[in-house]
Amino acid sequence: MSSVTLSDVEKYYGPLRVVHGINLEIESQEFVVLVGPSGCGKSTTLRMIAGLEEISAGTVAVDEKVMNRVAPKDRDVAMVFQNYALYPHLKVFENIAFGLRIRKEPKEHIDKTVREVSEILGLTPYLDRRPAELSGGQRQRVAMGRAIVRHPKVFLFDEPLSNLDAQLRTQMRAEIKRLHKRLGVTSVYVTHDQVEAMTLADRIVVMNDGNIEQVGTPMELFTNPANQFVAGFIGSPPMNQFEGTVSANADGLFASVGNASIALPEVNNVQHGQAVIVGIRPEHISIHPVDGLPSIPIALDLVEPLGSEALLHASIDNQPLIIKAETHGDIEHLNSVSELYAPTDLIKVFDKDTGAVINSHPTGRIAS
Amino acid sequence: MSTATDKQPLPARRPKRSLKDRTTWLSDHIRNEWRLYLMLLPTIIWFIVFLYKPMYGLQIAFKDYSIFKGVAKSPWIGWEHFQALFSNDQFLRAVSNTIKISALNLLFGFPAPIILALMFNEVLHAGYKRAAQTIVYLPHFISSVIIAGIVITAFSPSVGIVNTVLGWFGFDSVYFLTKPEWFRPIFVGTGIWQEAGFGSIVFLAAIAGVNPSLYESAVVDGASRWQMMWKITLPSILPTIIIMLIIRIGNIMEVSFELIILLYQPATYETADVVNTFVFRQGLQSGQYDFAAAAGLFNAVVAFVLVMFANTLSRRYSRTSLW
Repeated sequence: MSSVTLSDVEKYYGPLRVVHGINLEIESQEFVVLVGPSGCGKSTTLRMIAGLEEISAGTVAVDEKVMNRVAPKDRDVAMVFQNYALYPHLKVFENIAFGLRIRKEPKEHIDKTVREVSEILGLTPYLDRRPAELSGGQRQRVAMGRAIVRHPKVFLFDEPLSNLDAQLRTQMRAEIKRLHKRLGVTSVYVTHDQVEAMTLADRIVVMNDGNIEQVGTPMELFTNPANQFVAGFIGSPPMNQFEGTVSANADGLFASVGNASIALPEVNNVQHGQAVIVGIRPEHISIHPVDGLPSIPIALDLVEPLGSEALLHASIDNQPLIIKAETHGDIEHLNSVSELYAPTDLIKVFDKDTGAVINSHPTGRIAS
Repeated sequence: MSTATDKQPLPARRPKRSLKDRTTWLSDHIRNEWRLYLMLLPTIIWFIVFLYKPMYGLQIAFKDYSIFKGVAKSPWIGWEHFQALFSNDQFLRAVSNTIKISALNLLFGFPAPIILALMFNEVLHAGYKRAAQTIVYLPHFISSVIIAGIVITAFSPSVGIVNTVLGWFGFDSVYFLTKPEWFRPIFVGTGIWQEAGFGSIVFLAAIAGVNPSLYESAVVDGASRWQMMWKITLPSILPTIIIMLIIRIGNIMEVSFELIILLYQPATYETADVVNTFVFRQGLQSGQYDFAAAAGLFNAVVAFVLVMFANTLSRRYSRTSLW
């Protein structure tokens, strides 16, 4: 199995720089997800690893061998595309066998390998069909079969599930994870869907505007976002963020948000009167009184029931926030919520100017 | 891996509607979309005036037509003209020439624009590609009279470039356009030079429609440009090739009439005279309108049968057809 190393990788389209010198170490057998909004450079980065885009500066190495000048076919990587990239005129068998035929592998080997891979992916009954005669999920499996059949060093996935409906996406997500566990091939996966990133990744790379904002395990990113961008991107719904001013009294630090005061965790490097961004995840907020925590008045706007949970859309001093609360089978009691309790140790404080987190904590305790 | 929950694509089925429903739907549709139908009207009128109304005159193929009696009052004579046609050596020669020239056109002229389009697709330098395309499109916009003039001059025994070059290698001058054996190669070659470039546009458009990720996927799989052309580009544009082939087969009896008229001469009738030039000579030059109409009708029926045949074959074997 193989590692992938990106060192100071840049990409220019004419004068426009779309990837700003990124550095990333992907370990052997690791499943790394590049996530970020549209246009953040994640697909371009993946395509540079594949060799489909020229690298403007820096190096991409697979197993410490620099690949900048190596043709895509010689990089021993396989790529799964967003729109499957299946040959419409070829049957499933031939689509899967394409890469092997191009490499002039012996017929018996092709036949054996394709049938093995089809078995793994549950495609055996469909080998004689053309792509147009398959469902979206089956087509995606054929696309994966084409990648697997070559036994590459690295799998590259470019938003492979974004053309599928929500139900099928969940199912395929699990299948990809199972497949990775079974094959153990180093994988780089691009998506803009943070749920996909959280569920699939060993490590997530959050990208924004051609830069890497943070690299970490899903739980690290969730509990310890490095900045406002990551906090707002990871999590569903994302972290609530309010503008406030730091003040202190005998009980500790507070952030004044309008008329409300939010108790802050111990932070060394803030000053009285400093403008900060206070962040708290919707699932960390309690709507029931918690000992030692001051109540924060809110104006409830609407309640969105999701079944066992509900999303409460509200505001503090006209700054919107979302609370995730348990319904216990009934949402009536949620319509009268007028205050919340924010556990101090789960609150994040961000610098208002740089967006960087001021405090961080290693644990990921969820408020009950 | 589980497949049980995957959705299978189901064929769309429209419930049958009664005649009344369909009439109501049509009138509503026309009322809503009258602007589109209004735009369609000039074309429909053109078809009626220039293609359907003249069909009334087709009946003279079965009549002893007299311009003084008119189409309606000329007496019916049944299949007499057709019997005369099939015992006319010149007509049979014209049919044979038409088929031979069309076959050559199909064999060499049909693949030419496809090959050109594939070649253009491989040219990476945008400026060079544009220049090359413009150069090969140009002959299409030149009048057949000028084209014929260029050909006549090029093959002239005294000043033609072909004979000049042959002269450099010690060959005697040949008056190509008076040699029956040279007429078909010159005619087919001229047709390719004039139309291959312009004809490549439709194939280039088809190539432009091929999903680029098919090529990217093939690149990652290790395919060369040559392999991509054979395994991706050609199969992807096959439906377009088939449609164009059906149209071409439908026009198999329609050999470029003007160019033949301009290039042929009695010395080359043996290989150059086609049904259309035969009809032209009989109908307009000899005044045998009824006889010429019979020849023209025969031409049209053969073309119709050919296009039906090609379409049916294509639908059966490639699932691509005009209708």
